[in-house]
Amino acid sequence: MTDVLSEVAPPRGTDDSLAVETHGLTKRFGGRTAVNGVDLVVPRGCAFGYLGPNGAGKTTLIRVLLGLTHADAGTMKLLGHSVPAHRDVALARVGAIVDEPRFHQHLTGRQNLQILAAAREPAATARIESALDRVGILHRANDKVSKYSMGMRQRLGVAACLLGDPHLLILDEPMNGLDPAGMADMREMILSLVAEGRTVVLSSHLLDEIERTCDAVAIVDQGRIIRQGPINELLAGSSLEVEIDCDAPATAQSLLADNSFGATVTVLEDCLHVSLPAGTPRDVVAEVNRILVTSGVSVYRLQENRATLEAWFLEVTSRLGDTQ
Amino acid sequence: MTTPATTDQLFAGLSSFPDDHRGSPLPTWPMITTRIMELRKRRGLMVALVAVDIGLPAIYLAIRLIAHAVAPRSYGPAGGYEVFSNLVAGVMFIFGFIMAATLGATAGAADLNEGVFRHSVVTGRSRIALYLARIPAGLAIIVPIMAAGVVMVCAVCVFAAPTRLSYQGVTVPSGLSHTQFVSWAEENYQTVDCQFPYRGNASFIPPCGPFAGGGEVTITKGGTTLKKGTPAQLKALAATVANENYQTYSQTFLTPPLRLMWQSGLWLELEAAVGFIVGLGLASLMGSRTVPTVLMVILEIVLTPLLAVAHIPHMINVQRAVVGVATANVEPHGLPAVFGGQGPGANGMIHESTTWAVIVIIGWLVVWTALGAWRMATRDV
Repeated sequence: MTDVLSEVAPPRGTDDSLAVETHGLTKRFGGRTAVNGVDLVVPRGCAFGYLGPNGAGKTTLIRVLLGLTHADAGTMKLLGHSVPAHRDVALARVGAIVDEPRFHQHLTGRQNLQILAAAREPAATARIESALDRVGILHRANDKVSKYSMGMRQRLGVAACLLGDPHLLILDEPMNGLDPAGMADMREMILSLVAEGRTVVLSSHLLDEIERTCDAVAIVDQGRIIRQGPINELLAGSSLEVEIDCDAPATAQSLLADNSFGATVTVLEDCLHVSLPAGTPRDVVAEVNRILVTSGVSVYRLQENRATLEAWFLEVTSRLGDTQ
Repeated sequence: MTTPATTDQLFAGLSSFPDDHRGSPLPTWPMITTRIMELRKRRGLMVALVAVDIGLPAIYLAIRLIAHAVAPRSYGPAGGYEVFSNLVAGVMFIFGFIMAATLGATAGAADLNEGVFRHSVVTGRSRIALYLARIPAGLAIIVPIMAAGVVMVCAVCVFAAPTRLSYQGVTVPSGLSHTQFVSWAEENYQTVDCQFPYRGNASFIPPCGPFAGGGEVTITKGGTTLKKGTPAQLKALAATVANENYQTYSQTFLTPPLRLMWQSGLWLELEAAVGFIVGLGLASLMGSRTVPTVLMVILEIVLTPLLAVAHIPHMINVQRAVVGVATANVEPHGLPAVFGGQGPGANGMIHESTTWAVIVIIGWLVVWTALGAWRMATRDV
């Protein structure tokens, strides 16, 4: 998986080990290009985050993949089947929530699932109870959906996805409307689905959730994928941030600036902020401490700030914004 | 949520890809039955359908039953042939179409408007199949409701029918053969000569009004003379009048004939089916429920009545291509024309052959079904 995801360059050829594979996928709305030559690879059996600012084209790409709208150019495969040529076969083992899950308000949760199961294979009807149980709304299955909270509709949406015993789940903002406990439940369920060998593609703006749940991510902006790969590899490319609380910040700044770490040192109101280049080993943090102490600077606190997906996302997207 | 290991053996492993012909345009039985459920559970719509298709004639008949029971001399019987024919052609035909069109528009656009259609599409099921499943589902609802309305009207009109036949204001025994009718007329020649319409010899005056006794009128330069008619002459006149009136009499019944009842039932079902399928196609095409419903109402109660009777130069075939005109032209004999007059072709209503009417009706069904299916198959959802 890591090998595949490490390739930011367009993938070549086809691979049945991929859950999603697109080449040059493009979708235009009039003069606006919503999806711009996207080359995306999602390996099977992982949780994959699909990130991007609002209006970046995340939902449009999902809609194209699912055949809800047609692509203007490019090719795509779901679970090894070309889409749209073999859309019926591919989607038989795909479950998806696009935008927000919406249901017939005048029907109960169970009745809504019966309608969706009827469009699938006969075995799907037999999965209704299990799916409701799994998402935790079996006790409310006979209530009308109009009485459901947003969180319960999200759960019902996931239950609808499970009816097809999916190999691939595509969930668009699945955490929306969930309370903290619900988010934890959803996270746990996604991880359990992945543990079963299913692939889960999450589109979300909750970077912390993506980081906790996903193995790999792709970042999309203005219709183009600007980064994709395993999270740990992507974060390894981020700078290392260190906060130092000491008695002589100015002295410390000059001491560190004179060294060859490539550090950028900023004196803040109550501490010293040291930014070390991407790829800097952690030993350098200890070396920073040693230099200060041996030079007579009293160090009260030294804190390494681990790079987060959120910080990396903002860094990448702001860098992109700078170039435009 | 619970972990799969403890609750769910169904998800224990990944299933293989099903071979269920999911790309086929033909809907499966479960798709149809669940669509029936989805429509049937729309309580407001179902109440409206029942209220109009059954409740409206039921209220009308109930009022007539009560009025006749309270004041039988002032109010005639609730049932009978005339009540039946007027209800069928005057109320159920038009309102049945409108309600069926409303159901069709709901079936065509509700899941689009409610954002549910996309969930069905992502199952991989053919969009055509998803669309076509609505046709039998909707018909499974509208046909029984209309049938119930027709059965109720038939039952009341048969069991609450008048016991004596009133023809031209004269009480006449019902079900007479031509010969029997003439014989009865000869026996009641004075009533027949005066009350029944007659377009025959104007020189022979019936024995009523200022010409008591009646007779042959002779006009000379000196004036007009009336040669009083003999009973034999008056009986002969009554026989002639009876001959002229028999066809109309023979179509006047105490109760609607069985043949007319089932033909009327089928005709109303046809009209409802047309309304449903055209409403379904139009709503699917437009992706909206309200506008198509309004358009269908306008078509049925404004455009069709106008186009059915207006003789617009060079547009006669266009008028014949209107589905309401076509269905009006295949209405059973024995009913008054839905848009006025005594039947198809009468009272200025545009006439078209049964073959042409059938072609028009089938054409509307096919074209609107195809348009709706095409739009649902190509629509971004």
